[in-house]
Amino acid sequence: MTHSTALLLDSIRVRYGQRLAVDGVSLAVDRGEIVGLLGPNGSGKSTTLAAAAGIIDPFEGTVSIDGVRRDQSANRYAHRVGFVPQEPALYDDLSAEANLQFFGRLYGLHGLTLRDRVNDALYRARLDDRKTARVSTFSGGMKQRLNLAVALLHEPTVILLDEPTAALDPVSRDNLFAVLYDLREQGHAILLTTHHLDEAEHGCDRIAVLEAGKLVACGKPWDLIRAQPAGRAVLYGHSREVLPKFFQKGLKKRVGPAVELEFTGRRVRIAAATQEALGKALAIVLSDGVRLETFRTPPGRLEHLVRGEPTPVAVPEPEPYSAEAPRS
Amino acid sequence: MTDAVRLIVTLAAKDWHLFWADRRAALLGFAVPIVLASGFGMIFHKGPTVGAAPKLPLVIVVQDPGPFTQAVVEQLLKSPRVEAEVVTLEEAQRRVGDRRPGVAVVFPLGFEKLAAWTPGVAKARPRVEVLHHPLASSEGQWAEGVVSEAVMKRLAREKMAPIAAFTKAEFTDEALTVPFVVETTAVSGSAQEHFNAYTHSFCGMTLQYLLFWGMESGLVLLRERRQSLWLRMRSAPVPLWAVLVAKATSTAAIAVLQVLTTFAFGYAVFGVTIDGSVVGFLLLAFGAGLLAAATGLLVAAVGGTEARARSVCILAILGVSMLGGLWLPSFVLPGWARDLALALPTTWAMRGLDGVTWQGRGLVEVLPNVGVVLGFTAAFLMVAVARFVTSEARRRRGWA
Repeated sequence: MTHSTALLLDSIRVRYGQRLAVDGVSLAVDRGEIVGLLGPNGSGKSTTLAAAAGIIDPFEGTVSIDGVRRDQSANRYAHRVGFVPQEPALYDDLSAEANLQFFGRLYGLHGLTLRDRVNDALYRARLDDRKTARVSTFSGGMKQRLNLAVALLHEPTVILLDEPTAALDPVSRDNLFAVLYDLREQGHAILLTTHHLDEAEHGCDRIAVLEAGKLVACGKPWDLIRAQPAGRAVLYGHSREVLPKFFQKGLKKRVGPAVELEFTGRRVRIAAATQEALGKALAIVLSDGVRLETFRTPPGRLEHLVRGEPTPVAVPEPEPYSAEAPRS
Repeated sequence: MTDAVRLIVTLAAKDWHLFWADRRAALLGFAVPIVLASGFGMIFHKGPTVGAAPKLPLVIVVQDPGPFTQAVVEQLLKSPRVEAEVVTLEEAQRRVGDRRPGVAVVFPLGFEKLAAWTPGVAKARPRVEVLHHPLASSEGQWAEGVVSEAVMKRLAREKMAPIAAFTKAEFTDEALTVPFVVETTAVSGSAQEHFNAYTHSFCGMTLQYLLFWGMESGLVLLRERRQSLWLRMRSAPVPLWAVLVAKATSTAAIAVLQVLTTFAFGYAVFGVTIDGSVVGFLLLAFGAGLLAAATGLLVAAVGGTEARARSVCILAILGVSMLGGLWLPSFVLPGWARDLALALPTTWAMRGLDGVTWQGRGLVEVLPNVGVVLGFTAAFLMVAVARFVTSEARRRRGWA
């Protein structure tokens, strides 16, 4: 397997109206590598990914895959990208097979090639026994697997995933990362966004941290972690259901401004200055009826990276999500 | 097949499959115009067996008990042109208010003075009151005519018998019949045409429903543009023009199928026929299908939110349907509305379809209608495409 650069973002700058959403980001993703784009809400993660997917054009800088620039050959570029939006981008009223056939044809696949690729995709997504069922009858996890399968159908060099685990339970998340590790082994370059630090720490080969549209750090998780303090108390959890927005707002008010409470789909992140403050915030969340399926409280090592508080401290190396560890 | 054609076929086939995915909804899409057209046709159809003149339902209030008044009332009750009964004033007011029936005639106290009327001598004229429901003014006028006839017949008998040296008994109703015969014929332009209300209804309701189908198709695209599906499409090697051409193709194809199905039903059940140019009919059906597709793209391009677009569209479609004569013949509209209707594609499409169906017009005669419909289609498409191109470019540059 080669480790040559597949995706190259070269000093890209993207504007949303008057706001500079991405400011001079340069990033290379190699074949056989998973890179996580990390940062708080509004840091420019999804915009960077959209620029890499060819959905939005940078007003400065270039985006290329294997030397093919998006602004010079949009069609050839598009054939090299597999984009997985956060929400499943599927036609609910069509079957899984019909969805795959349709998107495959958009990429010029037809005949036996299309049939074989569709069958293979259905098998890999573990949907071959439900291939004629309408997508509207699928569970969230099944839809997410099909969402990924659609993006892989044309065998793209680069796979881009926008918050792929936001709506998944812990088991589905681990399964997804197992699939991503397989794809990495096959030589795909993978770029995903997340604002959950533990996911980036455990699941990615490299992490690129964005803040206010700028790339503030980029490297292997362990290299970044080693240089950071482990002072902040953080909890990552999964609620049983997606909480309504008004409920989320009420909870944020109740825990107070000193505690960070974030919701991404079913995922919950609570961060506080001390373990005691974290415990109090957790008590409030649970007493308000939020049912957490799982949660864990790793040392908040990368939390400080975004805050710019570098204090080296020795911490044990993290466990990966699946049996197969990220490349070091 | 070239890559571009293959792409368009793929996108259009997807829309086709999505249309048929909900089979009940799809079948309703064909059934609704048929039901509407049949309903309108039944309301306005006057079959050849209905030879007897329609009767005006009427209630009569008699406040003057004089013999002349009673004779007039008797005449009205026997008249073959009304279906009358005598009631009290309160009852009449209540029933007219409920439009059961819509009109009442009141012979107030003092009406009997008319018995002493002398031709050519001016005196204070006794009153007859006609009460009508606000929505039954034409029935009121009808009643006025019927009452005038009855009174004048009675007066003729009373006042003209001595002059004509007849006894009053010899002055029968038959003797007082108007001394001429009126023959009524509907005239509408072509020698061989025979009007069929069902044909007009099927033309109008089909056109109206095509516009609604165009709107629905546009709303689906509007919805898609707000979902992650659109992000996936934008990252795929699919140019915007291919999406628009495919959408227009699938919408127009389904629209033409709806026209053919609706008219096939009309032919089989109500005898709706194409008495003029079949090619002209097909051209108009194709033009109307394209117009529906262009309307859909326009909705998707300028619609804003789905809810907003739906409300505005329903208002616009009902407006252009009414003004374009899709519900009722346009002659019932005021002059300014008929002038305004010339600026609407529905007017031209409707006149064209009426022309090739029951008016029996030829291809050359309806070509201007086809041209105007296609012209409106081109104008709608230009606005829609320009708007799509601009908004997608703005999105790509992060301006929207």
